[in-house]
Amino acid sequence: MKNALRNPYVYVAFILPTIALYFLFFIYPMIMSVYYGFTDWDGLNKPNFIGSDNFATAFRDPEFRSSMLNNVYILLFSCCVQVPLIVVFSLVISSVKRLQGFYKTTVFMPSILSTSVIGILWGYIYDPDVGLLNNLLKLFGAGPIYWLAESKWAMLSILITNAWQWMGFYIVLILAAILAIPKEIDEAARIDGASGAQRAWHLTVPLIKPVVNVVIMLSIAGALRVVDIVLVMTGGGPAGATEVMASYMVNKAIKYGEYGYGTALAIIIFVFALVLTAAYQILFARRQERLEY
Amino acid sequence: MKKKLTSVLAAAVALAALLAGCGGGGNEPAASGSSPASESPPASPSESPSPAKAENFTMSLRHIQIGEPQKFRKAILDDVVKKTEEEVPGLKFELDGVEDSVNRFTKLPAEMAAGNPPKIMSIFGGAGDTQKYAKAGRLLDLTPILEELGLKDKFLNVLDPFSVDGKVYGLPIGGNTEGIFYNTEIFGKYGLNPPTTWDDLIKAADTLKENGITPFAVGSKGAWVPNMTINTFIGRLAGPETITGFTTGASKWNSPDVVAAYTLYKEWVDKGYFTKGELGKEYGDMLNDFVAGKAGMMFDGSWRSSAFKNDAVGAAVAGKVAFVSLPPLPNGKGDQTSVNANYGEGYGFSSDMNENELKAVKAFIKNMYSDEMQLRGLLEDGVLPSMKLSEESIAQVSDPIVKQVLDVLNGAGVTFPHFDSVVQSKVYTETETQLQKLIAGKATPQQVADAIQKVQDEENAAAAK
Repeated sequence: MKNALRNPYVYVAFILPTIALYFLFFIYPMIMSVYYGFTDWDGLNKPNFIGSDNFATAFRDPEFRSSMLNNVYILLFSCCVQVPLIVVFSLVISSVKRLQGFYKTTVFMPSILSTSVIGILWGYIYDPDVGLLNNLLKLFGAGPIYWLAESKWAMLSILITNAWQWMGFYIVLILAAILAIPKEIDEAARIDGASGAQRAWHLTVPLIKPVVNVVIMLSIAGALRVVDIVLVMTGGGPAGATEVMASYMVNKAIKYGEYGYGTALAIIIFVFALVLTAAYQILFARRQERLEY
Repeated sequence: MKKKLTSVLAAAVALAALLAGCGGGGNEPAASGSSPASESPPASPSESPSPAKAENFTMSLRHIQIGEPQKFRKAILDDVVKKTEEEVPGLKFELDGVEDSVNRFTKLPAEMAAGNPPKIMSIFGGAGDTQKYAKAGRLLDLTPILEELGLKDKFLNVLDPFSVDGKVYGLPIGGNTEGIFYNTEIFGKYGLNPPTTWDDLIKAADTLKENGITPFAVGSKGAWVPNMTINTFIGRLAGPETITGFTTGASKWNSPDVVAAYTLYKEWVDKGYFTKGELGKEYGDMLNDFVAGKAGMMFDGSWRSSAFKNDAVGAAVAGKVAFVSLPPLPNGKGDQTSVNANYGEGYGFSSDMNENELKAVKAFIKNMYSDEMQLRGLLEDGVLPSMKLSEESIAQVSDPIVKQVLDVLNGAGVTFPHFDSVVQSKVYTETETQLQKLIAGKATPQQVADAIQKVQDEENAAAAK
């Protein structure tokens, strides 16, 4: 038996099935989609090779460009609004003495719900006639707002819902980092007379920076592939106001049968996400020295 | 030691083979879909005298009769299914109900692309649906079956959208026209005349608006809903022959008359004639608003008439709803009595069939497309027959709304189709995108029309190749 385990071929034999499956379900489809991205395949007839036409069309397509812009909005919202809020909430919850578990569970709850459930749930909250939000507004005498039906509100509504869904997950991540900081550091600062806010800003935040970086990375990746919440809540409407790259791709490929073009869009999204996350890694995340405590 | 190594290797290889087999196996039933049936020995006598011996087989049947408003249609389908199962030994249908637009725009196209559509499916006629799939060889040529069953001349002149090169690939289940449903109680309350003239219609809309009632309920989240109104506006403002002319190049989307149709729609949006926040409303919300009395009118297909029966979803307004066609437009072109008539929805059949399944298809067609079922559709569900029915049969109609629908059609000089069964799917898609932009105020009528015409030109050029 010992001999057998020293034989490298045995290991190869063991990983072969996994490699085969990986190839079948990951590598092969990926190669095929790159190929289809350069064809005019409509799902029914034989694909014809059309060079980079699909990519040229995509960048000329005003709908796709505006959906790209919407992705950028989501990205900016999650990095500039969501992440600071997440850090603040984590700091608040970490300093709560009683019922901390309860708060942790409560904020985490939305991220275990399925997106369809959340979409429908918030659909009712945003409902112009019977929705919670408009009824609250009515109390203050404000007229009904058509949250999901008006171009200027629809994107914000989606952003809020998306933030509600995912913030809890990130809060729990950061909370874990905060709670892992040794108590002595905090105590030392307290003895030196630092106030709560000072300790939070000058001690805790720098110490959890690596985790915040991970959260930002995940937010960037998440913002670029967000699609389910859009499909459930607005389907990209009203008039394309909430269309994101991925929902546009789904519509083009599945609904309108332009598989070739849809695949090209998928490749663009992939490259876009890759470049952005890599850029973030190189420009910001790598610069930080590792902290030891 | 050597032996152990070999056995380990052998086990690993066997595992790999097994897993690879799983991968392949997962695809296979989906691709052929008929494996249980095709395993039946072909030698077995086809007209088996002893049904007990017949090989059991199942057939998938995709329908769109889901939800409360469709219950009458579902009942007819259920009876046809039951009868067909009794007639064909061993047959068991697997009913698969999917919401209309999900089926038409998402599920069926994906299945067609993968090559595994249901054996029997709800399908629409036209260049974007039946004809596209038929040209790709996905649908069964029904011409010989129609010959055999003697049904060929039984249909009204409605098979063209389901035909390619003279061969029939689908059969419309019935027809409808799109017009105005109005709430007679609300109209009575405000002393309004039925909207049979343009002035009365506008007066009604203005009066309702002033009294805080939405003149027209509409749910434009799916743009096919407002597209119904646009289609009739085009037919009336640019003439009934305009719609069939888009694909031939005889008419243009950006001609002044068609632009006028979009301008009129936009005018109504700006005047507040439609439900506020219509872009966030579903098609179902439109009926709900109308039934709840929040709206006085709605522009919808005559298929909705069955919703206003006493035992249906719109029971609250049963007996208080009437149907008229859009009144003559003051600046319209062509016959102002012309109305839209669609025979778009029906059944198609997968081209991948074995002998048993073909028999089942034949029986299904025989049972579904019979005088009896056509009459039931008309009487119970308000669906206009797609086949020739006798005068006496039609005279049995007692539902007041269905009678009004028939009156509208009888009073029409000419009929015109909905452009969704005429133009190519990319063009239709563009009409949806652009109409929503128009409603949202992101594009002017002229911009909308120009954008649609651009796609139309491209598609016409591609078709001419």
